[in-house]
Parts: sequence; C-alpha cells; structure tokens
Amino acid sequence: MSASRTKPGLAGAITADGRLSRRSFIASASGLIAVTVLGLPRAASAHSTQPMTFPPGALGKPGTATQRIDGLAKVRGDKVFARDYAARDMPGWPAAQWHALYLYALTTDHAFLGLDLSGLTKAAQPRRIVYGDDMSKSLRSPKLVRRRDLAIDEKLQQAGQTGKQRQGFDRPTGQEFDLIVQPGATPNYLGQAVALLLFDSAAACRAAQREMRFRDSDFQAYAADVSRSENMGEIFPPQTTYVKYDLNGQQFSYASADPENYLAEVPGWQGRIAAEIAAHPDYITQPIACDMQATDPMFLEPEAGLVWYDAETAALNIVLGTQSPDGDVRDLAGMFGSADSPVKVEAINLTPCSPGGGFGGRDSSPFTLMLALAAPFAEGNPVRLALDRFEQFRTGLKRHGTIVKGALTAAPDMSLKLVEMNFAFDGGGRKNLSPYCAALAALCAGGAYQLPMANIFAEARHSQNISGGSQRGFGGPQAYFAIETALDDLAAGQGWDPVALRRANLATETSTTVAGGPIAQELRLAEMLDLAAAHPLWRDRAAIKAGFAARGISYGTGLALSLQAYGTSGDGMVAAVRMAPDGSFSVQSDAVDMGNGSATTLAVAIGEYLGTNASSIEMADYDLFGQTGLTTDDPEKQRWANPRWTAKSTGSSSACLTGLHQVHTVKETARAMFEGSILPAARRLWQLPDLVSSDVAWVGGLLVDIRGFMPPLSHRQLAQDIYASLGTDTPLPTGALGHAYFQSDWAEADFDTAGGRLRLRLDGLACYGAEGAAPKPIPRQNTIGPDALTTRYSRYVWAPCLNVIGLTVDRANGRVELQNVLSVLNAGRIHVPELVSGQSQGGIAMALGYALMEDMPEGMEGPANGLWNLNRYHLPRMADLPLATSYAPDLRAQELVVLKETPGDGRAGRGIAEAVMCSVAPAISNALFDAVGRRYASLPITPQKILQGLAS
Amino acid sequence: MSIRFTVNGQPQEVADTRGTDRLIDYLHDDLNLTGTKFGCGIGVCRACTVVMAKAPNPAGTQIVSCSTPLSLLAGAEITTIEGVTPKEGLLPIQQAFLSHFAFQCGYCAPGFVMAAQLFLEGLAARPVPVDQLDAAIARAIGDHICRCSGYVRYAQALKEVALSVLAQGGDAT
Ligand code: FES
Ligand code: FES
Repeated sequence: MSASRTKPGLAGAITADGRLSRRSFIASASGLIAVTVLGLPRAASAHSTQPMTFPPGALGKPGTATQRIDGLAKVRGDKVFARDYAARDMPGWPAAQWHALYLYALTTDHAFLGLDLSGLTKAAQPRRIVYGDDMSKSLRSPKLVRRRDLAIDEKLQQAGQTGKQRQGFDRPTGQEFDLIVQPGATPNYLGQAVALLLFDSAAACRAAQREMRFRDSDFQAYAADVSRSENMGEIFPPQTTYVKYDLNGQQFSYASADPENYLAEVPGWQGRIAAEIAAHPDYITQPIACDMQATDPMFLEPEAGLVWYDAETAALNIVLGTQSPDGDVRDLAGMFGSADSPVKVEAINLTPCSPGGGFGGRDSSPFTLMLALAAPFAEGNPVRLALDRFEQFRTGLKRHGTIVKGALTAAPDMSLKLVEMNFAFDGGGRKNLSPYCAALAALCAGGAYQLPMANIFAEARHSQNISGGSQRGFGGPQAYFAIETALDDLAAGQGWDPVALRRANLATETSTTVAGGPIAQELRLAEMLDLAAAHPLWRDRAAIKAGFAARGISYGTGLALSLQAYGTSGDGMVAAVRMAPDGSFSVQSDAVDMGNGSATTLAVAIGEYLGTNASSIEMADYDLFGQTGLTTDDPEKQRWANPRWTAKSTGSSSACLTGLHQVHTVKETARAMFEGSILPAARRLWQLPDLVSSDVAWVGGLLVDIRGFMPPLSHRQLAQDIYASLGTDTPLPTGALGHAYFQSDWAEADFDTAGGRLRLRLDGLACYGAEGAAPKPIPRQNTIGPDALTTRYSRYVWAPCLNVIGLTVDRANGRVELQNVLSVLNAGRIHVPELVSGQSQGGIAMALGYALMEDMPEGMEGPANGLWNLNRYHLPRMADLPLATSYAPDLRAQELVVLKETPGDGRAGRGIAEAVMCSVAPAISNALFDAVGRRYASLPITPQKILQGLAS
Repeated sequence: MSIRFTVNGQPQEVADTRGTDRLIDYLHDDLNLTGTKFGCGIGVCRACTVVMAKAPNPAGTQIVSCSTPLSLLAGAEITTIEGVTPKEGLLPIQQAFLSHFAFQCGYCAPGFVMAAQLFLEGLAARPVPVDQLDAAIARAIGDHICRCSGYVRYAQALKEVALSVLAQGGDAT
C-alpha cells in the first residue's frame, strides 16, 4: 500500500511526476530522505478540494479581503485541523488505527522503575508498552536542529571552522535528554514521558486514560531512595551579554566589537560604566525587581496528529498542525535517518493541517517527536496521538517563568543613562528555544529608549519544570514589563510626569539598540506618545478617577510603551504565484497560518501587481525551497558571489513574519510574474513590443493601456496567450517562484526573464511552465546581499505599540476590571485592517490573562501533576474585556489607533502580532499603582496578591 | 437494551453498555462528524457545544458534548455544526462571523455558531428589548472560550444579526 495520492494543485491535481518534482531531500546519516508536503485529503469543503479558497463572490477587490480565505471551511466545521483526522480519512492509509498514550514523570528525585498496570481493567489494557530502553538511542534522544535564534551565524562559523556537523551543534550532550525515560534512570524533568502505551482501539485508550487520570502514582513505580536528576540548573547555551558604552566619544557594543574579543573586553567596559555612574552622585538609580510565572499558550486545539510508517515504501507519513514544518521534518530525518534507526525511512510525507492556535507553542514542539516515536512500534498500523487538555497542560511548551533584576539610572534632567538587567529564564526540561527567548528579552531590555549605557545579561537554565519555548513576544513581554514599570517608579519617585520622562528618552531612527545595532527605521514614538497624551482616557484621567472615587471605586490609569523586534537575525522565505488557464491565481507559501490571518493577507498581497487576489492559497509549503535552485552550502565561502547560495532557506513560522517578510516575498514574486510574463503577453496581444509597465494599469479586473489605444485584456485572455505560448519557441511562464532573504536589508539581484532583465529584491527566482513540470531556476546576476556582520545587530525591524489602561480595583475582594484600553500602533502599511485590529484585540485579551489571571505554579503543584485544566487555569472571557471599539465616557472600550502610513514605511507593513501584547501587562501594573499606590511586580497579579499588597 | 436518539435527524441506536461514552467521542468516532471540537473535555470551554432538543426542552438547549454521556440521550435530538450548516450557503450568523473576521484559528467557531444560532432562534421567538441585547448576547456566548480573538468581533457579529432578527420580527435562518 502506498501513501501517494493526488495533491490539490493550481487547477486540479498535479500528476505523479509533478508530485515527485515537488520533493526535496534531506541528507541523513543513512542516506538521502525525500520529503514531500501534501495537501489536506478529500473534499474539505463543498466548493473546493482546497480549504484555503475564497468562495465564489468573496474574492474581493484586488488587495482587499472580504473574509478570511480559510474562514468558510472553519465556520462550517469542515475537517481542517489535525485533530479532525483519523487514518480512515487518509487516502492510501490502512483504515484501522492504533492509539498512543504517554505516561509522564511524577518526580525528578527518584529513579523510575517501571509500570504496574495490573490495576487497569481488562478493557483498558494496552496492546503494547514501550519503555525508553526499548528503542535505539537516535530514537530516544534524537539530534535536533534549532533554527530560530540570535547567534546562529557565529555558531555556524564555528562549526565551519571545526568541521563539526551542523545538526545539534548547539546542544551539549549532557542536555540531550531522552524523550522517554529509561527504567532505572531518574526523570530529567516533569512532563518527560516514562512510557508509551499503544492501544488497538480508541475505546481501550480512552478507558485507560480515564482509569489512570488523577491516579498516576498507582501505576508508576519509583525507587524509594533519592537519586536526584543530574544536570539540574545547568545553563542552556548560549547566554546573552549586551554591554554597551557610548559616551564621551568612546563606543563599545556587541554589534561593534570584534566577535572574537567581545566577551573578553566586557569586564573592562562594565568597569567604565560603574566608574561613570560613581562619578555622578546626582544620578538617580531606580532598582528593578520583578518576576513572572510560566504560562500556558492554551491554544484551543490540544496537540494531535497521525503517523504511519509504511514499510513497503519505507515512508514515514505524518499529519500534524505545526508552526515549524521545516524544522520538524529535519528533526524527524535526524531521528529516523541514523544508522541505528529501528526502521528504514527513505521518505517523509508531511500533511500539515491548520493549527488550532499556536502563539509560538507549536514552534519546535516536542509533540512532533513524540508522535513520530510511536510509529515503529505499531506493527505497521497508523497511530493517532491526541492529547487531552490535562496532558497538554502537563507536557506542552510554556512561556518561561522569569526573574528580572536590575536598575535604571537617570540624570536629574530626566535623561536615561544606563539600564542594567539580569534575566533568569526557567528553561524547564528541554532546551528548545529557551536561550533565544532570553536573548530577545535582553535585546528588549532597553525598551523604546535611547540609552548610552547598558549592562544586560540573560540566560535560560534547565530545571525540573515543564519545558519552556517560543511564545508570542519571545521574551519581549518580560522585558517590557521590567523597564516600563521601572520608568513609572522612577517618575513617581522624582515627581516626574511619566509621559515626559518617556518623551525625553525616546529612541529614534538614529539611535542604537542595547546590542549597539542601528534602529535605522522610522519609529514615530513621539507621535504615539502625543496621541496618547491628548486622548481623553489619559488627558482626563484625574477627572475619571475622581468620578469613580465619588462612587467609592478605586480607579487607576497606566501607560506603557514597547518596541518589539520581529523576525530573526536573518530570515529566508519562499513563495510561488501561479496563474491557471482560466486566469485565476494561486499562491503557495512556506508560512503557516496559526489563525493570525497570514493566508488571507498573502492571498490579497498579489492584488497590486496582478489585478486580482489569489483564489486559493497553500501554506506550509516549505519544500518549495528545493525547487528554487538555491542552496545554503557555500564550500568556497563566496557568499552572494555564488549565484546559487542564500543565507537561509526557510524558518519557523511566526505570526510576526507576515506583515513585512512574507508579504514582501509574495509581492516581489507577483511582480516577477507580472513583468516576466503578463506584460510580455500584453505586448504580444496588443502588438506593442515597447510596452512598459507604466503604460498599463489594472482597472476593474482588466489590464488596460492607460493611453487608451488598446482594448482592455482580461485575465483569461492573458492566461490563454501564456498557456498557448508553452509549445512555442518563446514560452511565457505560467507562474513564478521567488525566494527572499532579509537581514537588515533585502538581498537583491538581476534576473533575465521573458519580459527582459528585472531587478528584484529576491535572491532566487524560478519560472513555471506546463502544469506538473518543475519550475526552472533563472540564474541570478549582480547580487547584492546583506553583509555577514549585520547579523550581530540581532534584529533590524520594529513594531512600536503603546497602551493606556484604565481599570478599577475592588478593594474588598481584590478583583480588577479592565475598563478601557487605548492602543496606539505603528504597523506601517496595513494589508488587511480587520486582521490587524483582530490581532490587537486578541493580544489585549492574552496580555490581560498574562497580567492578572493565568496562575500556574511550578513543580508538582502545577500542571505537571496532571490535575490541571481550565477549571483552575483561568482565561479571559468576554465579560473580562471591554468590547466597544471607540472610547466614550461610561462605556468599556478598547480603542485602537493605527498610525497612518508614511513614505518612510516604504509601502511595507510591520509584523505586529507580538507587539500588540507587549505593553499591556506593564500598563496594567502602572494603572494598579495609580489606583491603589502599590507596585505589583509579580505576574500574574491575582486578587490574592492585590489583597496582600493592600494589607501591607 | 439500547439508547435511541437522533443526530442531525439521523436515527442512532447504541447498546446501553456504552451509556458512559461521551457524546463527543461518539460524534467523532462513530459518525466521523468532527466539526464539534474538543477543547478541555471538562465542560468549561464550550468548543464542543451541540444543541439537544429533548422534553421538556423541545426548542433545544446548548449542551457540552464532552461532558454528556450517551445514557442521557434517550429520546434526544442532537444537532451539530454539520447539521445546522445549510447544504448550500451559510446561516446568517456564519456569514456574519466571516464578514466580521470574528475568529482567528477558528477552532472555537463551531461552538460559537451553535450557541449563537440557538440564541437567534430564541430571539426570533421571544424578542428582547434592544437595550438588553448586549446582556442577552453575553449570556448566550459569554462562557465560550476563544483564545485568539479577544471576543470583540464575535460580539459585534452576533449583535448585527440579532438586530436584524429583531428588526424583521424574527427569522434567524
Ligand atoms: S471540550 Fe471544553 S467544554 Fe467540552
Ligand atoms: S479563534 Fe482560535 S480559539 Fe477562537
């Protein structure tokens, strides 16, 4: 039996050959593994085989979305999520499936001995029990690739010099914890699996789950003697140190120093910083001390998926909803591609589903590994692993618990001189992306301000807690909470106006970050502060407070500002834009839509150049990279001079990559399609060989000659000409495949197309011909690409966001109610306004939960004990949020002011999905300070903490 | 003995030995109706909301299928998202959720559709004064959890359809 099936393509199915050509390959220890990304099976919706299709009549005007492209399927309850699928839904799979259930560690202080399942009823007995020592090392403890980080360039350089393998390069062996604890060993962390149970029926699996729930210790045996887990408290490298000194004509920073000597020079400069402060006894120092508990992303769909190892084709078939298809597949290749793999895997076929929420929690999630791990033990049957909510709480990635200490120093004239911060991230069990989150917190520690001196250190350490990982804001929420509450404390201590203090220190285009990298982007922070200060919610705050006080209610107003960086130190993206014979377009992208709306945004992004939106889109198609003709290997170290080289293929999908990065890639590829195919078709049809793009425009879905000489051309006419050209000597492309690389700036190059030579801000371009044929790469020329050094700036693009919060406090029970929110956002060009405001609304809700409600203790008091679900972990509900969208006295409203685009935006959007929640929590704490005169610096600020504060 | 009920009008009969099975599992496993979503499994998030019509509530009430055992279903008529969605086109509330960009990941959407549609049908039968509409909406969908959207657009979309139901003197279909 084979897993092959037709893949929904542009206009019908891609043939077997076509599918083969879509494959990419990963090198593994035991040879090449072919990777194929497959579309969702069967008619997902009544109108289309493709769930991401605008229904007829909803295509909208070019560049405008009337609804989400994935909306119809979701509002009808069609199968689109991984949890919706069973083996019987998968063409070519055996219909019968097994079910997997993991049991999780209960302690890190005693050796795990084994299971005793004699207490289970007969109906709940597993077909098979798999222990950690039943599997090879590569399966139990796979080598993982981690791609989203700040310091990868240096590591790669080191790896290049030492000739070490890239995979797993940043993971010392001591931290390669087993996915399943071996009997006799002490678990490394809570949430680590101790055994895998396999059932041949759903009923048996559920019965076992039910019988064991809340009674784990009846079934797991541990040694009586204490044998504490090793490596506890070890650092997850790399640590991040940003020391900056930019005074008296002397400069030192992470970005400007010689990477070889930077760390050695740091102590000397720290001494100078101390001397500078000591020389100014009039400086005011505001201590910083705050902490945040870990929180759960609580995406509504608990992780679920299917896996089937098909021995006949040596293929691992996997169905799941992930934010990082690229990294996940590489991890699987590492797992099954080693010499000691129990099964031979020559192909990985991934069917990516819409994730039911992500927020970072599905970026490099260990769930993928746990699912795949079950495949070789299921006797050739497909296996379903579907976590219930208790299990998801118990084992899913968390936002890191963090302790922040430091100080903020200012001169008496309000100018900020120095920020010192130390971030201790609780990385929990597995390393995952923890140190990179800590690193971004370090970069954000200077907030939205120009600071001549910085002394920042951040690290994540291994602990017994559930693993931390990527999470909306990626370290930003912790950092902005620290600096924005410290600023208010500083202002309060000196009797300064908190807005004036901020205004006196705002970062601008000419500022540098605490890492010493240039901001180099229009921020408009002063304008945002002015807007907020003039808004009645802030301007009239004393009167509003007095009004509440007259009714015996404590009310306070708080403000906070954030400057969230988005993207990574280097981002690669790929997109295809293809025209069907009927003149409709489809887009394919490596991005994943976690709900943030990237699919919709990318579908309408082609409108400007192609005169219509894409009718359908496929996401998570990262294997398109394999067809660009590009490589990341550069044996001769030529970098951009090597016409086939790019710095990065694709990376994990983050919602904040849509607004700028992914949209750019799709648009530039659409431009290539326009200039390289549509325009030459128009030249032929109109017999105007000198026609240039400025002679034409799209009007009402038709390409018109703006001088009015020629009859307008429809998309269908153009498509007919393009398809008719395929058999001739001068074929025109039916689509374009573009790759872009951003790192401070876009890589750009010349490409010779049927429409002439094009200068594109792409580093790879290929052209599609006949349906089913692989695209043909066009050699790039005259490439200009970002310098390797700029990766040391760490981040290059910023999404400023300001929040003003008005809230009331019930002094009797400690309950806090959000009355009003004002958000001011600089999002650059707005692609789909509804999606931007939707992100803001969702961000406010999530930040409210983070600040006030989501209370999850660590260790075995917390979700690791298997007792945690939504009955104890409280999320914001409708009543917790202001629902009106424009401010008026006596209403509860959340008003969003989005700055109007300026020429400085360069027609580009900004990634705002993370930015929108960064300044909410500190604004809440600042508002509480205003309301009751207490600083609440420990998140979440529960009613109990409020009462304790009031009593102190 | 067996338990008889209907799902989307189709008669069902299960042995009463399965009385403790959860309705949501029956929908997913036996009927392959996966539009009803599993979120928490303990009756809190309401992603798994379906409508049950059964004496003494022939008009139907929202129930959480994750916490409803089959044994409670004798004589009940269950409607799921698959049953409430028209063969062609959409319900006004589904269309409104789309036009308002009400949801993001959409995993909560079927639960919101079920609750909102039941509310609208009730509203058509028993209109409430416009100034009490927000409170009525809060009662209808206020306990549903959506992690992505912040609820604003759900509330706006439902209010728009509710106002049109009230204006028309009530037709929610
Ligand atoms: S799944 Fe959450 S209430 Fe049923
Ligand atoms: S849209 Fe994701 S949970 Fe509501």
